[in-house]
Amino acid sequence: MLYKGKLKMNNSKVVSELEQIVGDDYVSEEPEITFLYHYDFITAEPEGKCDIAIMPGSAEEVQEIVKIANKHKIPLVPWVSGINFGSIATPRRGGIVIDMRRLNKVLEVNEDDMYAIIEGGITWADLKGYLDTHHPHFRAGVTWSPPGTGVVPSCLCYGMFDLGMIGGTGAEFINGLEVVLGSGELVKVGSCALSNLWYGRQPLPDLAGLFIGWEGTTGIVTKMAIKLWPKLPFRTDYISMAQTMEEGIPMMLKLSKAGLGIVDLCIINLGWAQSLFCFDSKNLAIDPLELGLADFFGIISTQAYTEEQHNAQCKAIEEICSEFNVTPLTADTQVKNFPENLLGIVHHISPSTGGQTPIHFWGCWNFSRGGGGEWIGSYCSTRNILKYYQLSRKVCIKYEHPPQFYSRLMMGGHYCVARTNINFNKNDPEAIQKARDCLKEIHEAVQNIDGVVMYKPPTWALEHNKNKTLPATNILIKKIKKLLDPNDIMNPGQGIEGE
Amino acid sequence: MNKITKKKESKFLPGKGITKIKTVPNQQELERNKDLEYYKDIFYQCGKCGTCRTAYHENGWPRICPSGEFGNFEAYYLGGKNLLTWAISTDQLKWTENLAKIFYRCSVCLACTQQCQIPEIHHYAGEWLMAMREEAVRQGYGPMPEQVKYTEHVLKENNPYMEKHKDRTNWLSSNIRQTPDAKIAYFVGCTSSYREKEVAIATAEILNSMHVDFKILSAEICCGSPLYMTGQTEKAKEIAEKNINNYNEAGINKIITSCAGCYRMLKETYPNKFNIDHGIEILHLPEFLLDKLNKDELKFNKELNMKITYHDPCHIGRHMGIYEPPREVLKKLPGIELEEMPRNRHNAWCCGSGGGVRSAFKKMSAFSANERIEEAKETKSEAIVSCCPFCLNQFKTNIKNNEIMAFDLSELIRKAL
Repeated sequence: MLYKGKLKMNNSKVVSELEQIVGDDYVSEEPEITFLYHYDFITAEPEGKCDIAIMPGSAEEVQEIVKIANKHKIPLVPWVSGINFGSIATPRRGGIVIDMRRLNKVLEVNEDDMYAIIEGGITWADLKGYLDTHHPHFRAGVTWSPPGTGVVPSCLCYGMFDLGMIGGTGAEFINGLEVVLGSGELVKVGSCALSNLWYGRQPLPDLAGLFIGWEGTTGIVTKMAIKLWPKLPFRTDYISMAQTMEEGIPMMLKLSKAGLGIVDLCIINLGWAQSLFCFDSKNLAIDPLELGLADFFGIISTQAYTEEQHNAQCKAIEEICSEFNVTPLTADTQVKNFPENLLGIVHHISPSTGGQTPIHFWGCWNFSRGGGGEWIGSYCSTRNILKYYQLSRKVCIKYEHPPQFYSRLMMGGHYCVARTNINFNKNDPEAIQKARDCLKEIHEAVQNIDGVVMYKPPTWALEHNKNKTLPATNILIKKIKKLLDPNDIMNPGQGIEGE
Repeated sequence: MNKITKKKESKFLPGKGITKIKTVPNQQELERNKDLEYYKDIFYQCGKCGTCRTAYHENGWPRICPSGEFGNFEAYYLGGKNLLTWAISTDQLKWTENLAKIFYRCSVCLACTQQCQIPEIHHYAGEWLMAMREEAVRQGYGPMPEQVKYTEHVLKENNPYMEKHKDRTNWLSSNIRQTPDAKIAYFVGCTSSYREKEVAIATAEILNSMHVDFKILSAEICCGSPLYMTGQTEKAKEIAEKNINNYNEAGINKIITSCAGCYRMLKETYPNKFNIDHGIEILHLPEFLLDKLNKDELKFNKELNMKITYHDPCHIGRHMGIYEPPREVLKKLPGIELEEMPRNRHNAWCCGSGGGVRSAFKKMSAFSANERIEEAKETKSEAIVSCCPFCLNQFKTNIKNNEIMAFDLSELIRKAL
């Protein structure tokens, strides 16, 4: 039987069985090892407890681990970096954390259909490095997240990339999956289920949906095919500025419907920009708008196959911006003219990044110089970006947190992500509690906007989603979870079902 | 907007081979060689993001941390160590043998710190990696048993190689000329004295060929690096004081060394950690030679006709900032074609011998060496060349079936004289 809270199990017996699978170098119950898997070490969410950490080297080993977990009814939590800002990889009921990072290879790149088959524990650094070296004419999407974070979890949790305007969320970049179910069976979903090609999820029943957005509660992904895109020779990244969000957002919405080779549209407020420049929040005004500072930054990325086409696209983009009295400067120009000691992460734009934004970085999460950060991030209708910002901004200021806001328009402008970040000192219990209170109040404020659905939600936010969901849909979710994880061992207490 | 005119300045921290992050405002300028308490507000700024695992934004994003790549679990990477240090400093965890092993299973090569994009961690993490070792010793969990064994021998016979002190200068042959009242000393170091004697011989012959007046002190003892790098600061300091006393009494005002570890100790650790103001100019061999080459005081007469790759020793590289002098010297050697490995300079992969790893964690040490040897082979070079007899010995021990040759820079130079 599983127990909510502290799990009773005979660690040593289980460790001994696990050692038979992976070898004793790759399994540990030592507190110094398991400590680092208790939680994410970033968010304000409570710690969990990792009883055993294990690093399998193959899908077959993952299967065997799952079978043992089923035998002993021990929770399993798949993990790559654990950084997802919803603390969704925190082992809420103890158990075994499966660190997937030995499964870190690119297995195949198909240049005809433009996808890469990758293992479940590969990081963005691994993938980008491999593609840049072996397939320099192709690229994966680039996330804002650090290079040491996982590609597969990013996609499964609807992460977003700099190709979002053409590709949508990370989930839409998935062509196929190989998954170990809660029973220990190995399945493949997509074209790979009946061929050697992983070109897509069509035309079969889209079973990938059984694993996307479920936060590891229905299976452990051991392989994935991710869409790649050609590196077009001409690309410009603009950083536009306007005085207010009210002025800038309509401009971005118009751009989102204009085509123009636009691959990425991001809306950033001053607070988020300040963190990207790696300022110390203690040295900044809580509400810079009071000082009359500009509060809208828009990143507009466009690419093209020919110079002529690119120039025409850029011209059209600049014309649309000028309708809103905005003159967008290129990121290039911004980098050259901005004082070096205030460049923050912008200086990371370099030849090895393809000279592109965004880039893998971390520095902004240390905005408070306390190493803590969390967000209320939601998918929502593009019509509500401004409202989301206004409501969350008000709460941030109430709690004396500089409002840090970010929105990304995706899939040709069909939807967007809206996110409000909070940074805090994770060494200060009072600061952690204040952050929690602030986050919950932001959540309360924005979740009442129609269409707002939090992604990667921490457990306390799940009840809200459940209460808003059609009861029949909730029942279906429950049935699917039960079918795929009959013993409730897969990341229990997390995911759409929560506690 | 006005254009800022940028002055050309070193991209590295003063005296170090770690790049300086210039683009983050409001950074803290910290002191080095302090204890854990001093750095305690930095540890938790780490978000365990994993940036420390790969060469940040370099082509190919190669893996960079031997400790992590061998150990695999979070704890073995810098992110894990930062947070374990935080856990210790806030009593979330207690000292154990296992914790000590995690920190000792690391050559302190600083490749990880070079990658972190939080300035205080990027610039200073090496300090608390060492402070944790000192604390492990204070707590009775360090050093590792194998390191205890060689420490006892250092204290008794002035070297960690289980050799007799009286045999230290056995490599010296009668054709090597020394000048009894020279003010320049060649500090040979234990590895060249007892294991890689050709390095010592080559260095001495090079100095002779340039008519440099130098001497080798028979009183030379271990520089103390094997003790210092394993957290035994007090014992290392006693050795250092004894060593420097010998050199001061001999009237030495300049020391040339061919060992990266000795160089680091004499130049940086003795004055800055041990507060020994010895007043002696310390030069690593390529620095000295480059100066001579630029003044035409060293000439090469033979073509070497060899394609080589250069390995940056951590103790002159990331620890001290010497990357270009060895390369400049190599480029001046006739017939040498230098092909860089992908992981070079501040992103060099550690050979795995330093930090006490070679004695206490042989498998990890071999793993690290073999990784580097493979990387060297991929350049299609005939030889891997370094400026550290410890790196050289490590490569020679791990190279199999003559798959590639290994030389010290001094050996190549001697061939070209």
